[in-house]
Amino acid sequence: MAAAAVQHLAGHEAVAARYRDVDRAYGETRDLRLLGFMFFLVSDCILFSSFIFAYVYLRVSAPTWPPIVDGHQLPWFDTSFAAMNSVVLFGSGVTMHFALENWKHLNTRKFNGWLIATIVLGIGFLLGQAHEYSVVNISWQGSTMGASFFTLTGMHGFHVFIGVCYLAILGIQANRGVYTSSKYFGLTAGTLYWHFVDVIWVALFSLFYLW
Amino acid sequence: MHAGTSTTHDAHDVHDHIHPPPEGFVRKYVFSLDHKVIGFQYFFTGLLIMFIAGSFAELVRLQLTDPKGAIMSHQAYNTMFTMHGTAMVWLVLIPLVTGALGNFVMPLQIGARDVAFPWLNMASFWILPLAALILFSSLLFGGPHAGWTEYPPISLADGTAGALWCAAIFTIGISSTMTGLNFMVTIMKMRAPGMTWTRMPLFVWATFATALMNMIATVALSAAVGALFLEHVFNVPFYDAARGGSAVLYEHMFWFYSHPAVYIFIIPAFGVVSEVIPTFSRKPIFGYKMIAFSSMAIAILAFTVWAHHMFPSGLAPWLQLPFMILTYAIGIPTGIKIFSWMATLWGGRIHFTTSMLYALGFLITFTFGGITGVFLASVPVDLHAHGTYFVVGHFHYVVAGGAVMGFLAAIPYWYPKATGRMLSERLGQLGFWLFFIGLNGTFLPMHWLGLEGMPRRYASYVDFAKAVPDAVFWNQFETAFSFLMMASIGLLAFNVIWSLRHGKVAGINPWGARTLEWTISSPPPYYNFKKVPEVYGRPYDFDKPLPYRNTDNELDAFPEYGKTVMPTPQPVGAGV
Amino acid sequence: MSEVYIERGVALLGAILVGVTAIVQLKNDWAAHGLDASVTKLLLGLMALGCVLALLAAVNVLGARA
Repeated sequence: MAAAAVQHLAGHEAVAARYRDVDRAYGETRDLRLLGFMFFLVSDCILFSSFIFAYVYLRVSAPTWPPIVDGHQLPWFDTSFAAMNSVVLFGSGVTMHFALENWKHLNTRKFNGWLIATIVLGIGFLLGQAHEYSVVNISWQGSTMGASFFTLTGMHGFHVFIGVCYLAILGIQANRGVYTSSKYFGLTAGTLYWHFVDVIWVALFSLFYLW
Repeated sequence: MHAGTSTTHDAHDVHDHIHPPPEGFVRKYVFSLDHKVIGFQYFFTGLLIMFIAGSFAELVRLQLTDPKGAIMSHQAYNTMFTMHGTAMVWLVLIPLVTGALGNFVMPLQIGARDVAFPWLNMASFWILPLAALILFSSLLFGGPHAGWTEYPPISLADGTAGALWCAAIFTIGISSTMTGLNFMVTIMKMRAPGMTWTRMPLFVWATFATALMNMIATVALSAAVGALFLEHVFNVPFYDAARGGSAVLYEHMFWFYSHPAVYIFIIPAFGVVSEVIPTFSRKPIFGYKMIAFSSMAIAILAFTVWAHHMFPSGLAPWLQLPFMILTYAIGIPTGIKIFSWMATLWGGRIHFTTSMLYALGFLITFTFGGITGVFLASVPVDLHAHGTYFVVGHFHYVVAGGAVMGFLAAIPYWYPKATGRMLSERLGQLGFWLFFIGLNGTFLPMHWLGLEGMPRRYASYVDFAKAVPDAVFWNQFETAFSFLMMASIGLLAFNVIWSLRHGKVAGINPWGARTLEWTISSPPPYYNFKKVPEVYGRPYDFDKPLPYRNTDNELDAFPEYGKTVMPTPQPVGAGV
Repeated sequence: MSEVYIERGVALLGAILVGVTAIVQLKNDWAAHGLDASVTKLLLGLMALGCVLALLAAVNVLGARA
């Protein structure tokens, strides 16, 4: 038995070597892409940081905050709704994490379930943002508060929107067999991106609603 | 990562290259994935835009031959110097030193077959002509007027032209960021086996420092001009003081990028000089680690000095002092480099090739520009000199006398590798003297004119010419000399094209240089290295054998290899 | 004002649920190494911090009062 197995293996030595090479090539490509993706996140983070810097600068140099426009002081933002909406987004981060864990353990059904949950929560957050935009009592052009609020949350909302599309594409790819249990860099990147978008929201939530 | 691990698997063979051999004209020369072709594309695009932006500068100089303004309206003059600065900084210098030199040389020097993300590299390049089109189309709407910095509130009066300016800078910023990211990953992950960080050629160190700044700082600029764009197009109040915005905010965000931007031009030039000087002195570079680490020190310090551009902008006094001290501190790593190059020259067998002349000229003009930079770092001096031609003179000594000189040193040095032919030395050396004399004749008088109070960015200087009668003479003098520089660049373009057919055949290693690109044929095949070489030491020890193993056996097919100016050392174990 | 209390109640319960799950996941992944794992841990940790902030906002400690 054992000898036959060894002979069988030896017969396929060339094939096995080829597979090792493919694995190694995959590993090298994955290394490059992972590092490149991290650098992309770093630069994206700096883009947000620059606008956050602008917001903080305008806020601390303003004589009053919220600023006074046409003799009226602008209202504060609604913390209650934003806290609820934040929890929706953070929850989607956790479900995405579960989705990736299940993919690693070849549990495709659970992966699909958690991924759909993530997408639904992401869309829910976007709808919440849309609601927030419709009820908030300031305008983009009216004040520095509105300028920084709509620019930053708009950029973030755009990132969430891109993320939702990205996750949907990843789900389709995964179900078409693009990824395996050991080669799933796309899913890793999607998860990292999604966590990153969540963490940006932590900063925006604290700066606009809690400060 | 793979330091010291010598892995030469079959899978590293040529057909496992990241992309297959290009076929057809479009894949080969237009939408090419090959870093060398992309380097050429950057080179020719950058050179073309350099002529356009240089002509703008000549128009500016012609205007100043008469104190009343010789040839154009004040409005047109403002557009001309704005477009000159903008195009030179973003569409010429950064693409030339990172895009052209970095793309062509860096992967060859680390023994890689391409950059990490060839597709991204191609996209980075094709964004450049797009950005150029957007920028130059702003001329149709009257052009931007507020100088290359486009400070609000003045720039807010530019209307559509200002919005187009913002769009162009935002677009080119994406390209820079992607190039920086690409080069960072390439240098960190794709070095040949055995090439540890302290065995990298110094040009690679310089490219790494540049890529870091490109990746981090450019995004801050994108944010600054992005907000300016929103203000132009949607009237969103970020910078409009009447609605609570702050123009100083723009200056902070702008200079947080644009101070590193100056080092983005200059550090690759440092890298070029660090390659050229040891090669043509036939001596190991002095202080390898000091030069390498000072590049990184400059890159990191660059992020801490931006506000020295804003001393007259009403910066709080307690902020001025740290920025002044940090700016002085940048003089230390820069001085370390200058002294290391001088120590390398000391006692060397110096070959006065065109490259070496440019490198030596660089030492003179860059040091001069650096020293006037130290003057300007001092708050009291800066408050006096900031709005004058002293700053123009300083900046052009650093940029034209530093970055452009370094770039011009690189062209004759790597041209043989890129094309297989040598550039004409006679034309090259004539070009050097034209450039060097033209540069000093143009920018040196600006220093004393500035100290006497000639204001910069003015379309006419009638009052100043009354107060200082010499001013007219010196301005005409500058204009005359500026055409020498233009002639030199024209000569270079002619030389580059002429030598493609008529230059001497270069062979593998015409200079007897020792970095990895000189071990493969000229021009290199699309996969660069048939076998991935292994590295056993630094490339600069001219008295020792080459520190490489597993170099391409193509070397044997080129009998002229070794017949160089200097006997070339054999690879390790070659005679065994 | 009942709407506000519903919102805050959902935020409070959600923040506890999500925060605890995130921390448990963080603990499970603590031994994992590699660039992606380290960054995931950092991001999960920051997200847990976000949950704490949302919780504090829901119970009227931070932000505009209800």
